[in-house]
Amino acid sequence: MSSRRSRQSGSSRISDDQISDLVTKLQHLIPELRRRRSGKVSASTVLQETCSYIRNLHREVDDLSDRLSELLASTDDNSAEAAIIRSLLN
Amino acid sequence: MVDSLFPSIIEPTGDDNTSPESRRKRRRISETAKEAESSSSKAQRISEESSKRWRTSRVQQIYASKLVEALRRARQRSTDAGKITTTSAAAREIRDTADRVLAASARGASRWSRSILARRSRVPAMSMKKHRKAKSAGGRKPRKDAAAAAERKRNKLPAVERKLKILGSLVPGCRKVTVPNLLDEVTDYISALEMQVRAMESLAELLAAAAPRMALTRP
Repeated sequence: MSSRRSRQSGSSRISDDQISDLVTKLQHLIPELRRRRSGKVSASTVLQETCSYIRNLHREVDDLSDRLSELLASTDDNSAEAAIIRSLLN
Repeated sequence: MVDSLFPSIIEPTGDDNTSPESRRKRRRISETAKEAESSSSKAQRISEESSKRWRTSRVQQIYASKLVEALRRARQRSTDAGKITTTSAAAREIRDTADRVLAASARGASRWSRSILARRSRVPAMSMKKHRKAKSAGGRKPRKDAAAAAERKRNKLPAVERKLKILGSLVPGCRKVTVPNLLDEVTDYISALEMQVRAMESLAELLAAAAPRMALTRP
């Protein structure tokens, strides 16, 4: 029995309220969207930006892991430097 | 001193009487208070909480030092076992360690962190196959006019729903999560990732500065 506008907010149907809620909150979170501030960003855009932002962050972590692996390889031999680093961090 | 990835508990909560009655009362009061909050202020509260949780420099320092400890232990273990040969394998190990320490810092408060900690090693996603089978079994409907309207409605939403699914797949352990929960998870996850990047960045700078000799001798 399908009504004209199936507004069931069960697990299968996502209500429009939830989506607009999601959009406003995500807008504050993503720097790219904070800059735009046009007030009329579509849900699709917000979600797209959020996904690419997360992917960017993942990529940055991967790049940093690469850098750290090279740096750690060179400092492994020097435990004195490691002690210095640890003290600097604390 | 016990070596563990989990940070030692706990911040003082000022919670002297932990009798079940007072706990229940407190919970009921906070629940009604939550209901009274409008959704916008709740949104602000959640993102502020996430900010507080992940943006203080103290948190970042703690993460950075725990990361260094964990990295050294992991390197020690791998070199002892003779496992690490390539830099890409080393990089992956660093990435996994960084993620685990990050998830541990969340102290089990979020779904994504629990999901990361539950990953013991790189296990292929076997649940994907089950998903596919279930979907193809239920998708064989005859296309009639009555169903065309529903089809059109389905075609209107999919962009958003599709992207929602992609978002859910990007956050660990959040594929089948409801929209409001997904929102909370995404908020927290993004703040945590940002902190992870900042911490690893500062660590890389420190290491580069601490080992200038090595950097110079590189071709």
